[in-house]
Amino acid sequence: MIMEMFATSQFWVDVLKIIMIDLLLSGDNAVVIALACRNLPEAQRKKGILFGVGGAIGLRIVLTFFAVSLLALPYLKLVGALLLLWIGVKLLLPEDEHGEDNIKADTRLFGAIKTIIVADFVMSLDNVLGVAAAAKGNVSLLIFGLLISIPMIAWSSQLVLKLIDRFPFIIYAGGALLGYVAGEMLVSEALFAPFVAVQHYLHWLVPACCAVLVLAVGKWLAARKAVESVAVNLVDEAIAAKPNNKH
Amino acid sequence: MKILVPLDGSDNANRALDFVIANIATLKETPQILLLNVQWKVAVGNVKLFINQETIDDYYREHGMKALQHARAALDAANLPYHYHISVGTPAEAIVQYANEQDVGQIVMSKQGHSDLQAKLLGSVVSKVLHLANCPVLLVK
Repeated sequence: MIMEMFATSQFWVDVLKIIMIDLLLSGDNAVVIALACRNLPEAQRKKGILFGVGGAIGLRIVLTFFAVSLLALPYLKLVGALLLLWIGVKLLLPEDEHGEDNIKADTRLFGAIKTIIVADFVMSLDNVLGVAAAAKGNVSLLIFGLLISIPMIAWSSQLVLKLIDRFPFIIYAGGALLGYVAGEMLVSEALFAPFVAVQHYLHWLVPACCAVLVLAVGKWLAARKAVESVAVNLVDEAIAAKPNNKH
Repeated sequence: MKILVPLDGSDNANRALDFVIANIATLKETPQILLLNVQWKVAVGNVKLFINQETIDDYYREHGMKALQHARAALDAANLPYHYHISVGTPAEAIVQYANEQDVGQIVMSKQGHSDLQAKLLGSVVSKVLHLANCPVLLVK
């Protein structure tokens, strides 16, 4: 039974989908953990990172299984699919530069851990939803998706930035993939089941259209924003030579 | 003339600066040396909802200063004046942008920076700088 599953090409396609979604949607957790613990005293910093990573992993496991059971309910697949479409479009948009009124990094251990957990809750939602959709209720795929995302919570997110810098199309492939997965979720919504059962071609047509939709909307919104991403100057200082022993 | 030396904190990159210092006597005029480190913009998107800009900038500054440490010490020891600068963005683009802003006469960099597996797989900043730069680029082996 299990061997049969590994042998199908569909399984490996799903695995690739999940790796891609994990890679593109779990970048910022590691940064928040590192930054939230920055202002802690040296002795507590390691502890903060450890608890932060542990808590984040635990939270992600709970959220994943929560998401899967929620998606089994009628109508919620529709909501999930729409959310995924939006997540895909957001992936293609350039960064907003305006600063938000954010919280100052706490100098106490408890405060730092609280920041990490709350941040992880918010930042895991897109990843969890994406993986749950790509796994289509297959528990082993789901667990695989979780395992893949765990090192990415702890790792530096520079890897993703470097990948995108080297292969810019990854971001478009990712957007299209999220659209496709959203479309698959849409056709599996119980509400449309009688319809899809008759019109069988909808199984590939809807996901394909959703992928194109994400790319088109993302491109269009990005063009409207049209902000050139420039490097920000942070430090600029001149050091003069000491005048007394100038040669 | 202004000479820009981009540094990523690796020994390889530092060799480019050592080369500039060693050969400075061969130049007719003492050049202005500009040091640059570029930090990847890792704090994007949702990160800003939870961490304030001040902490983010401190983080970039700390890592940037670490990358410039060796070069600054070497220049101080040689008693040469210099500018140092830390940018946040994509390395190659940020190097060329700074070179254009400062109107530098030459960029001196080593053939490769960090030589780990990641750098090998993901290609080098150097080739991108060569492609984008508007001024001569000297590669140090």
